[in-house]
Amino acid sequence: MVSLTINGKVVRAEEGEYLLAVIRRMGIDVPALCDHAAVEPYGGCRLCMVEITKESWDGWKNYVTACLYPAEQDLIVNTHSEKVIELRTSLLDLFLARNPETPLIQKLAADHGLTKTSFEVVPEPNDCILCGICTRVCDEMGFAAISMVNRGHGREVAPPLNEAPPDCVGCLACAQACPTNYIKFEDIGTTRKIWGREFELLTCEKTGRPTITREFAAFLSKHRDIPEEYFKVNDEAHRDELASTMGRITRWSVQEETK
Amino acid sequence: MKHDLSRVPEIIERYPQQPSSLIMVLQDIQKEFSYLPCEALEQTAAKLGVPLSKVFSVSTFYNAFSLNKKGDTVVRVCIGTACHIRGARQIQEQLETALKIQAGETTKDGKFTLEVVGCVGACAMAPVVLTNDRYHPQCKVNTVKKLVAKR
Ligand code: SF4
Ligand code: SF4
Ligand code: FES
Ligand code: FES
Repeated sequence: MVSLTINGKVVRAEEGEYLLAVIRRMGIDVPALCDHAAVEPYGGCRLCMVEITKESWDGWKNYVTACLYPAEQDLIVNTHSEKVIELRTSLLDLFLARNPETPLIQKLAADHGLTKTSFEVVPEPNDCILCGICTRVCDEMGFAAISMVNRGHGREVAPPLNEAPPDCVGCLACAQACPTNYIKFEDIGTTRKIWGREFELLTCEKTGRPTITREFAAFLSKHRDIPEEYFKVNDEAHRDELASTMGRITRWSVQEETK
Repeated sequence: MKHDLSRVPEIIERYPQQPSSLIMVLQDIQKEFSYLPCEALEQTAAKLGVPLSKVFSVSTFYNAFSLNKKGDTVVRVCIGTACHIRGARQIQEQLETALKIQAGETTKDGKFTLEVVGCVGACAMAPVVLTNDRYHPQCKVNTVKKLVAKR
């Protein structure tokens, strides 16, 4: 355990725990757009920037991304100093130039007093904030089907060679995790479309409703030791089964007790 | 020009078959073909154990790599600061009209690719144009077209 000061309050943290986690535990609101529970910190959006110093630093201060900076003994952190707000505001000004119509960005910018960017808006703005959550989630799941491509103005998320990604299994984790709902997919009947690919959805033997893609089921049973049978019924039917089993167990234990 | 992709496996095998060899392999492929053919990227991904998406990510990140076939002569106009103030943009325009392409494109006959680049380290000779690896110092708007005259 280490003890440090955040916005004037002394707090304790696990050694090596990232500042952002400690800050959040204290209920302090710091914008952190590229942070996601499922993946390692990335330091991409820079919005979680905080000011740090120590008694021993002789007044010297530094600005670091809280999502990537480990808690240290005697650290003095300020999450909303004048300079921090200034830095965050200029970042949001840049975000507004790239994503002028994205509600998430508009809201954060407005909180910092910005309604319009002072930069030139990109020619074809979209809702991708380049947080890299989708690509990292996909990597983490073991597919690495999509990635960040190009750089500078041309940076975007794309499947390899800009063609339907061969390694995608249509699990939708990327779309689910995307903070701006930029990743589009379509489920029509038992057909799922995402990233220009088309998948067939398995159907639940009990309810007749679609479950997950054949490819995803095959992956899970092969690499995650989940029997293929499991995917022959959908979640709803699983819950139904669980409820009635639990009901039987409860009745059974009540009988046992009253014996 | 048809490229002989049968040389790709040999190029990949020059380096340890591991992810960290990626950039070296891509550099050699780029050198051999003057671009990165899709099939070569796929083979590289499979051999080095790097997901294809990551190979694509690296290939599109660095300026040294190109996914499109380049012309026999790559004409690079330096638009770095020194060249810029000595008229690089006008030089670029002259070359664009001469070749009837925009910077970043290749002529239909595959003879020329026109690119703009940052400082090429020869500011004293500004404005500079390169044809492949050859430097042309103090280019002039009225004569620069000669560099791309059909021979
Ligand atoms: S749907 Fe495809 S791209 Fe998205 S996370 Fe799943 S495998 Fe990756
Ligand atoms: S598509 Fe969504 S998750 Fe992926 S980088 Fe863009 S905003 Fe982030
Ligand atoms: S959340 Fe820390 S940089 Fe994005
Ligand atoms: S700016 Fe062109 S050579 Fe330096």
